[in-house]
Amino acid sequence: MLNSDTEYGSIEREIHIDATPDVVYEVISTPEHLREWWPKDAQLTAKPGATGVIWFSDGKTADLHPVGLTVVEADPPRRFSFRWVYDEGATASPDNSLLVTFDLIPSGAAGTLLRFSETGYRERGWEVAVLEETYRNNVNGWDYFLPRLVTYVARLASTR
Amino acid sequence: MTNAVNAIDDELWSAVGDPMRRRMLDLLLSHGGGTATTLSDQLPVTRQAVAKHLAVLDRVGLVHVTPSGRERLYEVDEAQLARAVAQLSAVGATWDARLQRIKRIAEAIQRGQER
Repeated sequence: MLNSDTEYGSIEREIHIDATPDVVYEVISTPEHLREWWPKDAQLTAKPGATGVIWFSDGKTADLHPVGLTVVEADPPRRFSFRWVYDEGATASPDNSLLVTFDLIPSGAAGTLLRFSETGYRERGWEVAVLEETYRNNVNGWDYFLPRLVTYVARLASTR
Repeated sequence: MTNAVNAIDDELWSAVGDPMRRRMLDLLLSHGGGTATTLSDQLPVTRQAVAKHLAVLDRVGLVHVTPSGRERLYEVDEAQLARAVAQLSAVGATWDARLQRIKRIAEAIQRGQER
């Protein structure tokens, strides 16, 4: 019953990208690209120990909710990791936050194997995992479902 | 996303979200059940604290209670636990979506550079 994700208190994924590790690193670590795939806005310097902020919309009002994050490792183009969802004003540590890690492994001529993990659910508790959901429980349907559809189709294709 | 679903699941989430309650669920699962006493023997908290956590788990249907002598025997409701587990899978799915977006953006940049 308690297998995979829940047993280890982490989420782990791998995805192949037809782009060089340099390009992928830029996409995952710079504010202008972060905005395209995750929060509404981001203020961040990809330097170890640097603290940044990402903002989420609640989908109903123009208000943006800031969430702090702290860069742990920034080793272009190999690894980028950060801690987030710690309480406001706290210093990020293994006990009070989730750790997100992106490992980039060169694959083929101009490809990258991206290994993603988010750990700390056991230590931090699962409640925080829905933090973002609570900020965007009225999110625009297409924004939410289209990417899922892509994932779904990719999964379908991979099982054939 | 429907808010109704979120509202129902919020309680389940906070019940299962606490690390101590998670450890209690693990213990109940591995021993096929337990009482406040047996659980507190295996955890760094008092029997009273365990009883409080068990009450929370009971309220959201994550455990079943049956009287056992002077004690109450708690067992995990696996169907309800599966629902909670499915919620964490949903968190994984939101990361899947983000990773797909990262892939699309990076590949578009790469194509632009090769042109």
